[in-house]
Amino acid sequence: MNNLQREEYRLLLDGQLPWPQTKNLMSSYKDRDRFFKILEIYQDKVEWDEKILLPIGEHLFIVQKGKQRIVKCSCGHEFGDYRKNWKFQAVLRVRNTVEDLEGIYPHADVCDPSWMEIREFICPGCGTLLEVEACSPGYPITFDFCPDLEGFYSQWLNHPL
Amino acid sequence: MTEANSLNSVLRKRLEESETMLAETGCYDGITTLECRDMDPLKFETIHMKLRAGCVSAREIARRISASPGVREVGEMVAAIYTPEGDAVAISNGIMVHVHTMSRFIKWMIRNDYEHDPGINPGDIFANNDAFIGTVQVPDVMDVVPIFHEGELVGWAGAVCHELEAGGITPGGDVALAQERFGEGLFICAEKIGLNDRIRRDYVIRCERNLRMPIYWILDEQAKVAACFSMRDRVLELIDEIGVDFYKRISKEFIEEGRRTQLARVRQLTVPGTYRSNTFYGHVTKGKPGFQPLGDPDWLYSIPLKMDIELDGKIVVDFEGAQPWGYHSMNCTPAGMDGGMFVTLTQHMNFEGLVNDGAWLATQLKLPRGTWTNPDSEFCATATSWALLLPAYGAFQRMLSRGFLARGFLEEVFVGQVNSPMIEMGSISQYGKPFGIAHFECAAAGSGALAIKDGLDTAYVGWNPESDMGNIEIWELDMPMVYLGRSILPNSGGAGKYRGGNAFMSTWVINKSPEVRIVTSEHSSRVFDNAGMCGGYPAPTCQKHRVVRNSNIYQRVEQRRPLAHSTGLDQNNLEQFYQGNQQIIEGPHIAAPMKEGDIFTHSYNGGGGYGDPLERDPVLVLDDIIQGHSSQIHGERVHGIRFKGTIDDETLEIDFSQTQKTRKRLRTERLQDAVPVMEWYESEKDKVKQGDFSPEVLKMYRAAMDLSEEFAQEFRAFWQLENGFAYPQNEQVDLSNE
Repeated sequence: MNNLQREEYRLLLDGQLPWPQTKNLMSSYKDRDRFFKILEIYQDKVEWDEKILLPIGEHLFIVQKGKQRIVKCSCGHEFGDYRKNWKFQAVLRVRNTVEDLEGIYPHADVCDPSWMEIREFICPGCGTLLEVEACSPGYPITFDFCPDLEGFYSQWLNHPL
Repeated sequence: MTEANSLNSVLRKRLEESETMLAETGCYDGITTLECRDMDPLKFETIHMKLRAGCVSAREIARRISASPGVREVGEMVAAIYTPEGDAVAISNGIMVHVHTMSRFIKWMIRNDYEHDPGINPGDIFANNDAFIGTVQVPDVMDVVPIFHEGELVGWAGAVCHELEAGGITPGGDVALAQERFGEGLFICAEKIGLNDRIRRDYVIRCERNLRMPIYWILDEQAKVAACFSMRDRVLELIDEIGVDFYKRISKEFIEEGRRTQLARVRQLTVPGTYRSNTFYGHVTKGKPGFQPLGDPDWLYSIPLKMDIELDGKIVVDFEGAQPWGYHSMNCTPAGMDGGMFVTLTQHMNFEGLVNDGAWLATQLKLPRGTWTNPDSEFCATATSWALLLPAYGAFQRMLSRGFLARGFLEEVFVGQVNSPMIEMGSISQYGKPFGIAHFECAAAGSGALAIKDGLDTAYVGWNPESDMGNIEIWELDMPMVYLGRSILPNSGGAGKYRGGNAFMSTWVINKSPEVRIVTSEHSSRVFDNAGMCGGYPAPTCQKHRVVRNSNIYQRVEQRRPLAHSTGLDQNNLEQFYQGNQQIIEGPHIAAPMKEGDIFTHSYNGGGGYGDPLERDPVLVLDDIIQGHSSQIHGERVHGIRFKGTIDDETLEIDFSQTQKTRKRLRTERLQDAVPVMEWYESEKDKVKQGDFSPEVLKMYRAAMDLSEEFAQEFRAFWQLENGFAYPQNEQVDLSNE
């Protein structure tokens, strides 16, 4: 990846890429090695050394830590084995009163808290809001994504994991 | 058997043979090598482009024949060319959801021996709007004509228009009050409506006598048939150019290449694995006039989705755990579910190259029998299928987007589509005549955010990638209502680092009519029927209707006093400006007719947000406030922005230093207010075991667990409930409407 392309993708990740270039990226053929280029930029941005294997959220990555593959926040907080739902290792704020809901929805209509609640999954390390669930009380927490990491690297990327 | 029947029976065998070949070889119609493409790739592309151009120009022809603003202005139409077996070879732009529903219609006729009775002959015209045969809802009326070359069926041309009036229990097309099939309107069930290239007069008479606004439907029929003839001519011209055998071969290769392209694109853009999402919808009709006591008037729908991306690139989407179908109009047939999947794929993967049914062949939908996705009663209504379809495929888009994000294609990440409530009306027009219309400015909701920018404001719906609200003046020609305003709804997009696109609201005064029935649908007021992603919030619930009956607006006009053009940020403008009977009505709006001088508002939905709202660029927040897209309070509370100056004297600016401190404090407060998830889990367990929920939530779990042992097991396992745990059926179902 040359410096120009690195800068383009860095700007893309930061939401700073000018629209004409973004539109061009959307409309043109996708570069086959985008995955590794983006990993390189993510790796440069974080302050820890574990190798990033897969981004799974705005701040969450599956990384190689020794023999383990774990979910890690960009701040460095670790959530454990990627095959288990990282949300169980987060901290949670539930908005289940009208007052609490209106705090985040001023001047707008909100759900009936007896029908639905807002669950905010927050990183215990940095306080970043990582995911929001809107679901009925009692609804099991959703495991958003469990990748087939081995299959992805060996069969799609033809690259050792 | 006549010679013609003997010839036609070959068609059914051909369909079965084609399906067997697909099952045996994994390739469409057993086409394992793309000979035509390999022989001359340029010719291959050129021929497909000619077919596609034929579809696009046919659609444009039709739009100029139609009398319906839905088709003319908003483009609620699609045209496509099919193989003899009913698989789409090439399609136009427009409401591509129907490319595959038409495919089902053609196959249904083949499977039901239409070869023998009523016969498939040159010049025949067939129509359908029965969702159990192949469409989404009654207003989606499709016409197909067979294409014969020297006596041999070589394909079909088909077109769909969304009709603005379907003759149902309430005016319009998305008949919200239909609780069974029998209230949805005029059904055309795979009927031969024309012979010798002419639509039958008795069919036209039936339309004239069963619709509130037959001019839309009947001229749309003429428009679709003209489109079909145009495509038929194009195919026959092409056959003259390249030969019939070559055409038959290459048209199938197009589909097989489409299938392979879809698989390759999944492998290129996503990551294999298991993705999960869910969404909800709140249906509220208790106390509304016209409700029949067939089932509960209110219902909370959960829509869980699981998507497996397999290593060959196949996408399998499973709706296990979905709610049962009900006595309402939001049920969907497998045809509609296919359509939703197809139109979503065209926006994310199947947007270039050979766009056709091949993409659909590379996916699989698992639709549990008895759920709203696959009802086991064909009496059930599907008039407002989109109420559940749009949230469901919004969740599908978020799952796909998780894959794009993981693969590094941030520019493709999209939080997804949302519901866009419909307003429909009828009775006496401003011209003193009976009328009925579905107002299609709903085709311009806010979109979900992207991972790199805000969503589109008032410019996107999932069912038609060419979203368009249409011009006010055109709508005013067709309904006895005058716009007081179309306004951006501030804060209507979900908050996030990138906010969801905002919605708009319209405010009208009923004009020159003694009676207008106004009905709205696809309102989820009790629950968010959309979601955010990666820390973004869902967009607000659908805003309630504000109504002023017997208003003094004409008096104010005469006095040249200012008028309210929207409900305003605090939603109290109408009360402040107008005298009259003020009403706040939770949707759907099903109420007594309105009349001249009454004021009505209707709001559409915004999209979900992406990323943590505390990471939003303060400059974007300020810009939103200045542009009227959000309020200052929203910026302060949700994004942690501190301001200097005021918006009123145009001195508003960001206090960056205080903003930084505030955001730091808010993060700390978040951690103080939150509890470890496991702690929350332990505290919730008893509540779940006791079933300490509202009646609607309890009913939702009970229904899903009754219908799906898989869902029940997952629910029990998650909450560590004993084997066989179920919520008791000890509550009398409330069928009253009070």
